[in-house]
Amino acid sequence: MLHVRGLSVGYGGDPVLENIDLELPAGQFASLIGPSGSGKTSVLRVVTNLLRPLSGSVTLDVPVRDVGFLFQDDALLPWRTVRENVALGLGIRHVPNAEADATIEYWLNRLGLDGYGDRYPAQLSGGQRKRVALGQVLALKPKLLLMDEPFASLDAIVRTRITQELLEWVDREHLTVLLVTHDLEEAISASDVIHVLGHGPRATIRARHPVEIPRPRDVLETRQHPTFGPLLRRLWDDLTMEDAGSVMKR
Amino acid sequence: MISTRRAVALRRGVAFIALLVVWESLSRFGVLDPFYLPAPSVVGQVMFMLAADGELWPHLGATAVAAFAGLLVGLGLGIGLGFAAALVPTLAELLEPVMILLNAIPRVILAPLFVIWLGIGLASKLALATILVTVLIFFAVFNGIKEVDQRLVERIRTLGGTRRTLIREVYVPSVTTWVMGSFKVAVGFAFTGAVVGEFVASSRGLGYLLQFAQSTYNAALTIALIIIIMAFVLLLFAGSERLERRLLRWKFGHSA
Repeated sequence: MLHVRGLSVGYGGDPVLENIDLELPAGQFASLIGPSGSGKTSVLRVVTNLLRPLSGSVTLDVPVRDVGFLFQDDALLPWRTVRENVALGLGIRHVPNAEADATIEYWLNRLGLDGYGDRYPAQLSGGQRKRVALGQVLALKPKLLLMDEPFASLDAIVRTRITQELLEWVDREHLTVLLVTHDLEEAISASDVIHVLGHGPRATIRARHPVEIPRPRDVLETRQHPTFGPLLRRLWDDLTMEDAGSVMKR
Repeated sequence: MISTRRAVALRRGVAFIALLVVWESLSRFGVLDPFYLPAPSVVGQVMFMLAADGELWPHLGATAVAAFAGLLVGLGLGIGLGFAAALVPTLAELLEPVMILLNAIPRVILAPLFVIWLGIGLASKLALATILVTVLIFFAVFNGIKEVDQRLVERIRTLGGTRRTLIREVYVPSVTTWVMGSFKVAVGFAFTGAVVGEFVASSRGLGYLLQFAQSTYNAALTIALIIIIMAFVLLLFAGSERLERRLLRWKFGHSA
């Protein structure tokens, strides 16, 4: 579904990312973890054409319009109501009104936003705003979903609930997902494979860990799985070794 | 229980009435010279006469027409030039220094020049009101677009939006916020342009009446006209505020 080969990204000066290779087969849920500033978000920005790479290639097996990007911030239009925000992408793609209306109502209902359609983002809680952003992206039926720490700002309960709902949706629709996150437990709970990015500048992928927990999953119960603890330990070691390496470099 | 807002309004009302009573008393007891500061009752009488004998209305109408026309043309020019400069960098290079210069000077000094160029009729007042408003709105739009939230721009781009979508969904609403923030000032500027233009040279308008009152040392008429202008501008401010609340209703909702 997504093929990243020899990708280097920079903002002037040393490249932030260097020679990144990443394969994401259709239907796989992958996570990309790494230290702060290692360039995780930059990978997603290159895939969505928001950033031009220094070198390397990004190839998609689907048109770029089938890629959904859930930002770290809600990035909702403050002057548009919840309904209008969910409808935004549908309008841009000229989806017929009747079909768009049905899709919007479906997502408002599915995301527990019934009765909130005429509210503005400023009148919603953080969790509700995140649901609207999710509805905005999923209403377009993406085949590849990119997520940049989308639930980082939410409290633990809301975060777990939304992650669970998202996982169920991903399984049902066989979505391919690339999640960028700081949260190791979230990465294990949701992913089939976890890519560990090294410290920048010139960060590369240092390790890949398959997650041997069967799907479908319950976010809370994955923590009880016998492989969860050891994998968490390995990821922790990868990242702390990276941090130590970075301190030595300085 | 009286709300805080009502209590403030009540206190202000009482203070205003107290001021009028003190002023009136001082005038009646001869402490204040009526040549310089006539009693409020005299000023009120002048205002009543102006309205009752119909003399006020054509002048108020002339000023209002010049101010509104200047406001509309200034808004149009300011928005158009602001958008053009923000979206076309070469145009910004040419326009920005001119606007900065016009913004730095007291633009009412252009009034005599407009009278020479355009005569003492409506055109010179319209020109002055327009230039006052245009510069203000230009910067509101120019800065509004430059400081637009880039996350929203990227959101639209990842949803497949074109440049036209960006303008419609992000730039225009974002700029509306900035323009409405300057709208009340623009209304004041438009009125200033019209009145100052009439004050410099004209045959009608509130500025013309003011000029007449000043040349005849008629303090009561001068104060009456100042109050009328203030009342009219306050009325327009109230209208602007309603418009702002309507256009920016998303901002005035209660947070969750």
